[in-house]
Parts: sequence; structure tokens; C-alpha cells
Amino acid sequence: MHGQVLIENLAKTYLTKQRQGLFKATEKKVEALKGVSLDIQPGEIFGLLGPNGAGKTTLIKCLTTLLLPTSGRAVINGYELTQQANAIRATTGCMLMGERGLYWKLTGRENLVFFGALYHLSPADRKKRANAIIERLNLGDLADRAVESYSSGQKMKLAFAKALINDAPLLILDEPTNTLDVPSAHELRAVVRELNREGRTVIYTTHIMAEAETLCDRVAIVDHGQVLALGAVDELKASLGREAVIRIEGVISAKASQAVQDLPGVKQAVTAAINGHSQLTVVAQNQAATLPRVIETLAAYKAVMQKITPEEVTLEDVFIARTGRTLADDTRVK
Amino acid sequence: MTVTPYSPPTPGQQLSAMLAEIQLRVLNISRYPGQLAMEIIIPIVFASMPILLGQATSGEQAAANFAANTGTANYVAYLLIGSNVFNIVSVCFGIIARWLRFEQETGTLESIYLTPTSSLTLLSGVAVYSWFRGIVPALVSYIIGCWVFGVNPFEGNLLLALAFILAGLLPLLGVAAIFGAIILKVKESNALIGLMQWVLSFLMGIFFPVAVLPPFLRFLAFLFPPTWMTNGVRSALLGIGFFFGEWYLDFAVLWTFALLAPAFGFWLFRRVEGGIQRNEGVGQF
Repeated sequence: MHGQVLIENLAKTYLTKQRQGLFKATEKKVEALKGVSLDIQPGEIFGLLGPNGAGKTTLIKCLTTLLLPTSGRAVINGYELTQQANAIRATTGCMLMGERGLYWKLTGRENLVFFGALYHLSPADRKKRANAIIERLNLGDLADRAVESYSSGQKMKLAFAKALINDAPLLILDEPTNTLDVPSAHELRAVVRELNREGRTVIYTTHIMAEAETLCDRVAIVDHGQVLALGAVDELKASLGREAVIRIEGVISAKASQAVQDLPGVKQAVTAAINGHSQLTVVAQNQAATLPRVIETLAAYKAVMQKITPEEVTLEDVFIARTGRTLADDTRVK
Repeated sequence: MTVTPYSPPTPGQQLSAMLAEIQLRVLNISRYPGQLAMEIIIPIVFASMPILLGQATSGEQAAANFAANTGTANYVAYLLIGSNVFNIVSVCFGIIARWLRFEQETGTLESIYLTPTSSLTLLSGVAVYSWFRGIVPALVSYIIGCWVFGVNPFEGNLLLALAFILAGLLPLLGVAAIFGAIILKVKESNALIGLMQWVLSFLMGIFFPVAVLPPFLRFLAFLFPPTWMTNGVRSALLGIGFFFGEWYLDFAVLWTFALLAPAFGFWLFRRVEGGIQRNEGVGQF
């Protein structure tokens, strides 16, 4: 049995121009997606995780018919991607590009009513639907103000509202909590859960691993245009097996980090800058045996260790284990 | 796999989406009242310069000299018609390109491409809006301009003049779609629109009859629908003479353009759009 979104070996290659000096340019091929296959079931919240430039947005743009794939196929809501684009558009609610997808000179309500018309709702239904969404998302105070007067977070909220105007069974949300403050992000995630409980399937892209952990039923970790890991959050965490994660904060040089990486029993050692400090994340096979060696090595390289925390495995650790890279300091959950 | 029910939009739903696009444009321009005032004033100022230059160089003989070359002594109305028809053509010609570029830059182009409404429906909505946006200020501007320079704006066959304007708008839709396709591809509007407007004003003869152009340029001018539109309006109002002698023959030429240009324009637009979706996408700017 296939799910609501079936993707088979989807690939996308762009041609970009490489500028060389004033007038010369050469064409370069960029492989944004390299054979992605996914099967997303009805009623699940499916997370697409990965750093910026991983290929998440390209995949989303293909699924929403903004881009045509170079090869492969996808069936969305029962319709072939390359053959039945209008049916897919009509049966999918999308939030892409955040606040950029709105008419800033118009009010929030005027935006919603306009997009309702483009989804072929009758004039009465557009107004009714816009009013219902405004009420649901507590946009009442903003609805009749020009969007240009909204804060960044308020614009994001309206962009989310726009995705609901056609009452679609499938929602595709591309980093919807970007620029939202903590309570607003929390509120939006609660609405996403509520919409999911009502029966909607949600594809949710984020580079915030902890957000995906709390929200998604299953996730796919994407990097360099490929799916590196796929499964339920708990399954993915369990896939690290007995491996342990140790985080060390302080002043840690690249040489020290490399020396830790070279230690026996260390699977990955990655340094990221967090709040002006270095944070070394070490994925090791045996914490008890490895921790003293790590501390000894760091001390030998004159690293300043302010905090050493053996931690539970997170999705970010799964990402580090699969890619050898971290998502840096903008990946903290709001 | 469960198939979510979908039925293609009815003609009524498509018309409703087109009207929503027109309403959006009207709402948007209502937030810029100064722009509309400018569009009334500019054609008067534009025509005033050659009017005053003519009076300065020819004095009391200005009307007689002008009549000898153009077929009418009413040079004020002649030049005001030229500048106002140019204003209509300019708005209608560039609006699709400007619309695409603006929406590309603000991010709303991708938003509308996410909906099941065809881009050609929206493009038609923008074009219809541009007709009103071009014609209404041009009519007001013409009447005010005639009043300022003391000539009668209502002489001649007003209905026929209006018919020439309306018939000229359809081929313009095609030309605008072709130009929109170019902008979608090259992602640069201001320089191209600016350049084309100068070429356009020259070829359609806003301040002079195209008969005075050298043969090759005159040939090019006759390939361009606004030339027939401008001469049709002038002939209807001032009696300067249709290119083929009778109004219905010039009208037939405009309708031939009207049948061919939109079909070619929409075809080209669709091809360019498809090509872009196969590569970087419509939203990249």
C-alpha cells in the first residue's frame, strides 16, 4: 500500500552560471537532488531535516510543482507530479518562502480572500474560510491592517494562514517557525498538531532537530540532495546503538578536535560555535572508556573545558553520526 | 493510494480568479494615489513641450505649417492624442513584464504558481486591469490637456476613436505577453522596458506622422499595432486620413494583429515558463 505522497528516485539538476570577470560566464551543473525516494503515509507528520542547502527546499519545490524534476516520479494525493500539476496544487496547502509570499500593501484578510479566489472558492466561501482561519490563528487584531505594518513573526503567521485557505488534506510547510518568537513557534506547532489530529498529512521541513523530535512521527535526514536516514524519531536514535554522546564546552582548537577524532573508539568529533564558545560533540562507542581519553587529549592540547555533559542521543547526534557535520548554533529549538 | 477528489475549474471559476486579480491590482494602486495623478499629468507635460516649441518656432504660422504636413491644423489635439495613446500603450505593454518582475522580487510569484489558477488567467487579469489603468487616466488627461490649451476635446467621431483604442488593446496583450516571457527569462525589466518605450514612442509616431519616417523605419512602424491604433484615433477625431483610406480597412489590420499576436504571445509565454520550471524555477530572481 502506498501513502499520500510517493516519491521514487526523484532527481533535480540545475544549470547555473559561473561568472568569471566582467563578461565571461560558464555553465555549471548542480545536482540538488540525487535520487530521493520516500513514501509518506496519510495522517502522519513527516519531517524533512537537514542543513541549509541540503536539498530540502528543492524537494519541496518539486513536490509543489514549482520545479520540474529532471528524472524520477512522484504521486501526490493520487496525482502524477508531471502530468496533473493543477490537481496537486488544488489539493495541497503550501507555506513556502515565509513572509515573502504575501502582498504587503494589502491587509491580511485581503490576502487570504485573494488566495481563496485562486483556489477557486466561491466569493462567499473565500470570506467564510478567511474568517475561520483568522479566528483559529488569533489574527483578529491584525486582519484588517496592511501586511507591511506586521512584525516578521506576524507575517509568518499570516503565511501559515494562507496555506490553510484551501482546506487541503496535505500541508507542506517549509521552515514555518523561522523568525517566530518562542511562544508563537510553540503556538504554531500546536496548531500543526491539531490540524494533523483532524486528519491532515503534514510535510514539515526544518533545520531545527529538536523541533522535529517533538513534532514529527517520522523524519528523513537530507544532506547533499540525498536521504541519509529515514524512520521514526525513536528508531533513528536507537540506530546509534550503544554509542554515547559527550558534549564539551569551552575553548577547543581545531587541532584538539582532530586529535579527539583520531582516538580509538571515537566515531565522530565535531566542533561548533555556540554562544561564543566551542562545543565539541563526541560520538563514541563506549562512554566510560572514551571519556577519560578525550579529557586527557584535550588537556594535552591546552583546551579550556568549562562544561562536560554526557547526553542522551538526539536527532542532531544522528545527523552528526551520518554526516560528520553539525548544524551549528542556529539549530537550537525555540 | 487514496485519491483526493479534484475537478478542473469551470469557466466561471476561472473568470472569478481573473476578477480577483483585477481587484487585487485595483486595491494595490489605491494605496498609491500619487501614481494615478502622475499618469494624468505626465501626458499633458509630455505633449506640452512640442506644442510650446512649435509655437515658439512658428508663431502664428504654427497651425498652418502643421496642417501642411499632417492634414490637421489642430496640432494641440494631435500631440495630446499622441502622448495619451502612448501612455495607454506604455502601461499595457509594460505591465505584464513589470508585474512578473515585481512579483518575482517580492516572492509572491511563487505563491500564485502554487495555486491551481493558470498563469494565463492571471496574466489576462493583469492585462484587463492595465486597459482600465491606461484608458481612464488617458481620457482624463486628454480632456484636461485640451482645456488647458483651449481646444475642443470632443470634435470628430469619438465612438470610432474609442473603437480603435479597444481594438488596439488586444494585439497589445500579445506583445505584452511576448515581452513578459522575455523578462521571465532574462530577469531584468527596468532597462528593457525603458529602451522599448523609447523605440515604441518613436515608431508609433507620437509627435509626427509615420509618413515622414525613412522607408525602412516606416515599414517597421507598420508592423507595430500601436502605429495603427494612434493613426486610427487621430483620423477618427481629427480627420487626418486612414492609412488605407477607409476606417474599416485600418480596423481590419488591427483585428488581424488582434487574432495573431495574443495566440503567439501566450504560446511563447507558456514555452518560456515551462523551460524555467525545468531549470531554476519561476521564483528565482
